Amino acid sequence: MSGRLHPFTLLAVAAALPALAWILPAPIGPAATLAVALGLTLTPGASPGSTGIRSSPGSTGIGSSPGWRPGSVVFRAALLTAAPFWLFLLLLHDVPTTIATGLRITTMVASIGWVVAALPPARLVEAMVAAGWSATAAYLFAATLSAVPVLKSRAQRIVEAQRCRGLSPRGGVVNRLRALGAVALPLILSALHEVDERALALETRGLVPGVHRTPLEPPPDRVAERVARWGLAALCAAALVWRLA
Amino acid sequence: MSIRLLVLIPVAAAVSLALSAAVDAVALPLFLDTTGTILATALAGPAVGIATGVTTSAVNTLRNPTFWPFVVVQLIVALYAWLAARAGLFRSLRTAIPAGLGLGVIASVTSTPISYLVFGCTTTGGIALTTALGRALGLAPLGACFFGSFVSDFGDKAVTFALVTSVLHALPRRTAARFPWALRAIGAA
Repeated sequence: MSGRLHPFTLLAVAAALPALAWILPAPIGPAATLAVALGLTLTPGASPGSTGIRSSPGSTGIGSSPGWRPGSVVFRAALLTAAPFWLFLLLLHDVPTTIATGLRITTMVASIGWVVAALPPARLVEAMVAAGWSATAAYLFAATLSAVPVLKSRAQRIVEAQRCRGLSPRGGVVNRLRALGAVALPLILSALHEVDERALALETRGLVPGVHRTPLEPPPDRVAERVARWGLAALCAAALVWRLA
Repeated sequence: MSIRLLVLIPVAAAVSLALSAAVDAVALPLFLDTTGTILATALAGPAVGIATGVTTSAVNTLRNPTFWPFVVVQLIVALYAWLAARAGLFRSLRTAIPAGLGLGVIASVTSTPISYLVFGCTTTGGIALTTALGRALGLAPLGACFFGSFVSDFGDKAVTFALVTSVLHALPRRTAARFPWALRAIGAA
């Protein structure tokens, strides 16, 4: 289901659920929004790998665990992400506050986890371009997503190279800070030296800030979905007015 | 905005997110998640810095949804770094580190109400534990929350400022001159 919806509709749902969780009175309101958010994580469109976004190498493995259906991977990831918050909330607050805040945080984690799994970045960029956003905004989002894994793997290579040259993470804080400089400086400097190269590549392809481009495959934005998005915004506003009144 | 400055934004945001690998390698309790914002501001001014901060928060939110409410801190960091660059505080470590400590105080003051109201002071394990320590020391809930944020931000921002200063000074002068604020930030213009 979620795979067929327009990217803006997915984002509207993912934004409305946490907003309602914080606006509506606890524990009933946040419990209801959490039930909806966890239900969404179990929908077929929220399967891992469908978006092209993968978590960092150190945090993978959830999807390959035996005993979990592919559709429940996002569900379990949301619960695992939220679990430490419940522990620390219990450590710092009384039980009613823990339940209220825990339900709200879990709603936020589950709804954003769902939208990340269900919405491929490329589809979002197409929708932004089709909606008239400038190519600049779409570029910023897509370029950062693609640059992060590149720089992370480069950072790992620099760490390994510096370890060959005697870098040690042991010793006092001063030694560790020196070691940090030995790893971070080459990473940042190499990234900055790439700026000119990337700028030249973009200029060659005709990207000028503020220009509008033609989307290749714009996602269909049905009237019903636009109405639903406005309906969600009106629902959040009405709930806020009701709570403040 | 020129293409070069546009390209700087995702590169700086990606630097902030990739530095976690460097921090893990030396086992220091630091985040360095504002490095790109401060660097972009020192090189290209507040607009580029703010865009970098927002982009960093947006992409970080895809990995951990609890980051988004702290986008306000990135905006404050960009504005503070701009003032520091205008004053030439990146000219040496002796001026950059105190400026970073000042940012640590401002960042913790900014993040405390967000952490307290939205997350009940449980944003990350380390901060939650220092908050619990503050409670054990007899601080009020909001005071303990500030204590947790302060302990994590104070050193982190000083190290970040020192790192950015080192980068600015390590840049070849010709490369630095291509960015509108770089030379002024290090007191060379």
